[in-house]
This record gives sequence, structure tokens and C-alpha cells, in this order.
Amino acid sequence: MTKPFCRPRHVPRCLAWLFLGAGLLQAYQPPLLALAEGNKPVVDVFLQLDAKSSVVEKTLQEHLPDLAITVFGRYRDFEEGLSSGHPDAILSITPVLVQRGKTPSLQGQRAGKSSEPYVLASVNRPLEGSLAGKTIGVVDLLGRDGTQTFLNGLLKETDLKVKRVAKIEDLLPLLEFSVADGVVLPSSMLARLLESTRLTIKTRELTGAPVGLPAVSVLSPAIRAVVVGAFQKLDAPTKRLLGIDAWSVP
Amino acid sequence: MTGVKSMIGRLIWLAAVILCFAGCATTVNDRGDPTQVTAIVDPPARPGVPDLLIAMPTSINFAEVRKSLVSEVQKNFNVHTFAVGPETKVVDLATAVETTKPVCVVLMNNATMSLYRQYQSHQTTETPPAVLLMASFVEEVQTHLKRATGIAYEVPGVTAFVNLRSVINAPINRVGVIYRPPFRQFVEHQKSLATKEHVEIVAISVPNDVTAAGLRDALHDLAKAGQVGGKIDAIWMLNDNGLVRDEEFVDDAWRSELSEAKIPLIVGVSNFVDPNSPLGTLAVVPDHEALGLQAANLIFDLSENDWQVEGHPVELPLSVKTVVDVKQVRANFGLRADALKHIDKALE
Repeated sequence: MTKPFCRPRHVPRCLAWLFLGAGLLQAYQPPLLALAEGNKPVVDVFLQLDAKSSVVEKTLQEHLPDLAITVFGRYRDFEEGLSSGHPDAILSITPVLVQRGKTPSLQGQRAGKSSEPYVLASVNRPLEGSLAGKTIGVVDLLGRDGTQTFLNGLLKETDLKVKRVAKIEDLLPLLEFSVADGVVLPSSMLARLLESTRLTIKTRELTGAPVGLPAVSVLSPAIRAVVVGAFQKLDAPTKRLLGIDAWSVP
Repeated sequence: MTGVKSMIGRLIWLAAVILCFAGCATTVNDRGDPTQVTAIVDPPARPGVPDLLIAMPTSINFAEVRKSLVSEVQKNFNVHTFAVGPETKVVDLATAVETTKPVCVVLMNNATMSLYRQYQSHQTTETPPAVLLMASFVEEVQTHLKRATGIAYEVPGVTAFVNLRSVINAPINRVGVIYRPPFRQFVEHQKSLATKEHVEIVAISVPNDVTAAGLRDALHDLAKAGQVGGKIDAIWMLNDNGLVRDEEFVDDAWRSELSEAKIPLIVGVSNFVDPNSPLGTLAVVPDHEALGLQAANLIFDLSENDWQVEGHPVELPLSVKTVVDVKQVRANFGLRADALKHIDKALE
């Protein structure tokens, strides 16, 4: 008859050995793993999409196994990631890249276009005419000052009260709670808003100021080919998740 | 022996709820482990920059809100954080206020607000304006303080209903809720908000000292279409300690009545969503990082308005996180095709 390895009264001792063993194993493993991870180009992603950032991150990690992908759901986290993580590439919309002085290495396109109009959505009637003094909600894409400037440019009005929210889905409560007169969002996100609510949403397309679609900016020239090549190989559903259907090299 | 085991089980359950979601006297909320203290370091102060005092407990959820808030305001304000614990006295808070001379104080949790109220009552001169966060019934607290506004911590029902609609195929037009008298005003406010999204709230009042049997009867009335003028599409469990006293009470009242009812249950505490012990279908809890951004926006608004706090109504929280028992949804209500893309935590 086989003796049990751990008798009941010896369980604490066995556990102690188990933890010690696990600790030793762990202590000897990281160098190899860290090296493998360290060799991958690091890509920071900051996009407002019709999916939670955790879903986008998981999908990109699965489809871009040669890249170390981190998806940030909020501007401040993205900003912190850039300063502390020193990524090799950034995937974001053009205004975010421009704010950082970066140029696209790979430009996303949808239906042959590299930009899309944004829309101003409001409840019951469209916000026509002057927007001076109006309170407008928008996702925080560029920090407090940057987002204010971005919105001023989109709406061609400087006398705006801006309500920044952290995530695209937080725009709806601004309308439900009557906190904002209107909200600004990419036209591609409008369907999701309309599907989520029974408010009567009216829109005004901001045609004069289209905003660039997601683009990849490679910051380390040495790995440009690797990063660009990996993104170009993305399948159609993943590109669709990113709000694009093709890439172009500018 | 069974009694001891039962007591231990009950204590563990209580500890889990309290540790994960320590609330105040009346409500249960997602406020983190109060014993898990986070190290807090303020950014270096600069001369000529206005000061902001944050008085708060140091447990993790408060620290999350603070971190997000500080990252937003640190370019414009010197931030001083004053840790509040059970041992903190009014004189300690008074010293912090008088030393830092802030243009605004941020007060987190009901105990901190109570200290500030006592501090204000001893002052003959004007005290700094206060922004109230992460407390139960902030609107009510506001009336007891001078120069205060803030952000409510309770997630509005309408937010929960809209989130449930985005997860399940079944329609959500009528939602039942059971409340005790202290929650009457809250529920009335929720009714008008829900109307905007074409949701009718059907509310049933129970006494303050409602028993498990009494609560079960009320739930039974809600679940039976004829008793409340038509079919209920979901039930919303309020974060009220009087309705979720302990595991045994939850089992006796909620689980036993709803296990066969096949009605989605919306809860405000994420550990009530567990596919291995089904109860809540969807938990909707405050998003603390987003709450920090909302608080920063509020502080900037007040600063641009010369700190005229009195005219600023208490805001509703804009951002939430969702936890879904996907197994229960698939089995009973039908999972929407793209639902998984929009859920923060899907449990199966």
C-alpha cells in the first residue's frame, strides 16, 4: 500500500516545501521568459472602439504574436505608458499621433478613406446654429487642453464647455442625465449609441473636419519592417474591430 | 459542531462582503478592502500653485480614484493627501486644512464628511469648498455641509438597465425593485431617470426590519406578473444592508425565491455574480478610475466658476464596470451576439 506523501499532521510542512519549491522554480524561470518578451517590439495602443480595451488587447495579442501589445483604455494610462514604457510603436488615431509629433508608418483605411467625419449627437433635435456656451461631451483623447482644442477645431467654436469622459459608452449618460447639450463621437460609433438607447437621438455631421482613422507610428526605425509587416497581415475581422478594412503605407 | 461551522461560514461570508465592498451604515458598495492600505505619495509641491487637499481612507478603491484624480489635476494644483482612519479626530483634519490652506477639499467616504462637518461647525470664518466622493447618499450629506457639492456613488438604475439590455436578448421594459423607507426618495428619482430610457420601475416597499419571509413574499409578488400589473422583465437589488444582511438571509430570501423565477437580477456588488452559486445576472459597479476623471472635471468647473459651489448640483456617476454571469444569461435569457465585447468581466 502506498503511503500518502502528506499525512494530515504534516500538511503545513508539506505546504511550506511546496511553496519553497514553487518559489525556487519561479526564481530560475524568468530570465528566459523575460528575454523572449524583451525581444518583441512593444506596441502601445490607444483607441476608442466598439469593444472593451481588454477584448481588443486579447484579440491583438492573439493575432500579433511577434509584438508585445498593450491596449490602454484611458488617455492618462496611455500617457503614463508612453513615458514609462518607451514603446517601439503606437497605434492610435491621427490627432493623438500628431499631438506627440509622430507620423504614421501605416495608415488605416475604411471604404478607401483614411479619415472619417465625426458627428454631434443630441436628444430630440439636432444642435444647429451657434454652439457658443453649449456643453459638449467627448471622450478624453488628448488630455484636458488637447481635447478642448480638438473639439474647438471640430465644432469651429471656442466658447464651449467640454465634458470629458473616460470611455465611449460614458457619452450616453451625459445625454440621459441632461448633463450635456450634445456629444461628439466618430460616425462609426453612432450605430452603437443608437442601438444602446431609446432616447431620440438627432445628429449633425461635422463634415468640415474629418479625423484620421487608426494609424501605426513606428518609433524605432530598426523594427519598422517587423511591426508594419505584422499589422499588414491582420485578418479582416481584426481590422474590422479596429474600425478599418485596409492599411496603406503613406 | 454544525453550529460552529455555520457560524464560521457566516463570518467568512460577511468578511468577504465587508472586505470587498465595505460600506457605511446603510449601504453596501464596492469600496475595496479597508485593511489593504496603499502607500500614497503626493507630487512635489510648486510655489504659486493653488493647493488641493484630499482627505480619504487609504484602501485600494479610494486610492484608485485618487490616482486618476491626481493625474488629471496635478498640473494645475499642488495635491496634499490626508489619510483618514478610524482613529482620525476633527483636530487632525482641522490641522491638515489649516496647514495646507487649500482652495478646495476633496472628501472621500461618509466618515470623512462627518469629520469635516464637525470641523465646519467650529469655524467662524468661511471654510474651503468641498467635493464629496464615494459616500452613500451624497445629496443628503450635502445638505449638512456648507459649500459642498460632489458626485453620487450609487449607480443609477437606468445605467444598469441599459447595460442589461446590451447583454441579453430578452426585452427590458419593466424592472421591479424592493426598497425600505430610507430609500424611498432614491427610488422615486430613479423612476424618472428610467423613464427616459422607456423603462418603468415597479417598486414595492418593505418595512425597515423586513424578515427573510417578508422579503420573499415581496419578491414573489414582483415575480408573479398579475400582482404588479404585468410582467416584470428584471429585478434590481438595491445596495441596502437591510436587504442583504448575510449569506443566510440572501439564501432564504433572494436565492430561494428567484432560483426558479428565471428573471434577470441586477446587483450592485460584483461578488453576488457567481456562476457556481447563481444569484445576480449582472453586477454594475462604479468605475473608480473614471470617477477620478469626473471629479477632476468637477474641480476644474468649480475653479473656473470662482469656487461657487452652492449652485452646483450633485452629479450622477457617469461610468461603470459590468460583471456578467454569462452561463446564466445563455441558459435563461439569450446572450446578445456582440455582448462579450462590451462586458468588463464575463463569468462562465
